[in-house]
Amino acid sequence: MSQEPVFNLTEALTRVESDEDLFQTLAELFIEQAPLDMAATQAALDAGDAKALARAAHRMKGAILQFAAPRLFEFTKELESLGNAGTMDRAAATCAAVDQELQKLIEALRAYVSTRPAA
Amino acid sequence: MEPATASHKPAAPTAPAVATVLLVDDEPVSRLSMAARLKRMGLRVLEAKDGKEGLAILRRERPDLTILDWVMPEMDGPTVCEQVRQDPDILSSQIILMTSHDQPEQIAEGLARGADDFLSKAASKQEVLARVQSGLRAASLVRSIESTRDELRAKQEELESELKSAGAYIQSLLPVAGDVGPGIHMAWTYRPSLALGGDLFNVSHWDDHSIYFYMLDASGHGVSPALRAASFATFLRAENLRHCITDNDPAAMLREANRRYPLTEDGSYFTVWIGSYDRTTHQVRYATAGHGGALIQRKDGSIEWLTSVQLPLGFEMNTPYDTTTIQIEDGDRMVLMSDGIYEAPAVTGELWGTTRLTATLTAHRATPIAAALPTLMAEAERWHGSPVFPDDAALLGLEFRI
Repeated sequence: MSQEPVFNLTEALTRVESDEDLFQTLAELFIEQAPLDMAATQAALDAGDAKALARAAHRMKGAILQFAAPRLFEFTKELESLGNAGTMDRAAATCAAVDQELQKLIEALRAYVSTRPAA
Repeated sequence: MEPATASHKPAAPTAPAVATVLLVDDEPVSRLSMAARLKRMGLRVLEAKDGKEGLAILRRERPDLTILDWVMPEMDGPTVCEQVRQDPDILSSQIILMTSHDQPEQIAEGLARGADDFLSKAASKQEVLARVQSGLRAASLVRSIESTRDELRAKQEELESELKSAGAYIQSLLPVAGDVGPGIHMAWTYRPSLALGGDLFNVSHWDDHSIYFYMLDASGHGVSPALRAASFATFLRAENLRHCITDNDPAAMLREANRRYPLTEDGSYFTVWIGSYDRTTHQVRYATAGHGGALIQRKDGSIEWLTSVQLPLGFEMNTPYDTTTIQIEDGDRMVLMSDGIYEAPAVTGELWGTTRLTATLTAHRATPIAAALPTLMAEAERWHGSPVFPDDAALLGLEFRI
């Protein structure tokens, strides 16, 4: 079963005008930051706090935008909408999808960073 | 001595050639990405991690442009905009609000709350560049307008203070009220229409038994007539007049002044009324150049205008100003006045007029002259409906005891 790559490196590099050093820094920052944001998102979901869920998803979405990761971006966007609409019953499944995709992106970015000379 | 080289020149202004942009975003990855884009445009970038910190940096650093994320903890973008617009020190700051969703209703809300422009987080490099440049252009226009405004304010203050000191000088030329000699009591009241009046008056001693007094009006309003009036008043000082004429004949003074103060190129001229009083003969001699504002109020209350139809000064070289003589009795009063008094208009446009003026004088014949003149001024003011007359309003009164 072949699947689209989790993020499009060429497109992501275009966004930073092919500045690979910058992209590496962004990736490292994301690898560090994203699990914290994901934890906050999960905590909001567990607490049933729709507003906090929307806020946390929104914040993640801004970061994900930098990496041209369309599936993850769409899931996160959906999660934000669910939070805004207060439809928490459907949020759990979407949140799980976000988490799963996010882990893939983090893995992919780790792999990218490992190919780069040490910063 | 060594010639001064660079030291006499003012130091080059330290204004940075590089524009400064403040970027406020709580999310570190997108903030780093946008900051890198802005730096690549050659901009100096300041960063803040939330609205509160952003507002503090904005106040401290006065960036040329501020790019604000919409959704932030502590204080969101639109709230920062509102705070900026309420603070007179920073209200002209240029602000771009960043959105991840540019729905029209959000744009309307952002504009209403004080944003200048919008930028989608997903915007292309070209769009970011275009919006930033447009924001910087607006910021530089605002700065140049503000600096012009500040210069104008400073100039205005300087002019006002100069006008004030010129006004104080003109005031210093006015006489001191009270007894000007045995049996001659003098009072005056003056209300210039601007900071500087073009009407002046004075009472001077010619010799130990005679005085002369005048009311002059320089045509026009403002600084130039006031200066011309001051110059004419200086000419009319006794120590100067004695060099020009041998007798304190008012007509001789006018003929001399007529030669010295020709009509100016822009059509400025003087009207003046001059009288002299001799304590030994109890006679007043007077002459006028286009000025109609003097009267005598006898002890019995009868009023007589002291006018003669003659051209203002400077119109014709050989105007034959001549002198009229009247006899003064004990208790007679003379009032010299600017036309600004009886020409004070009511809201309807109707002038106060000499009839109402003389009626007021008659009603207050028993009032001491020092109080009668302010009463006359107050009546004119009541007619006019405002304490500021369109023209200078001066009153000079003399009361004779024999």
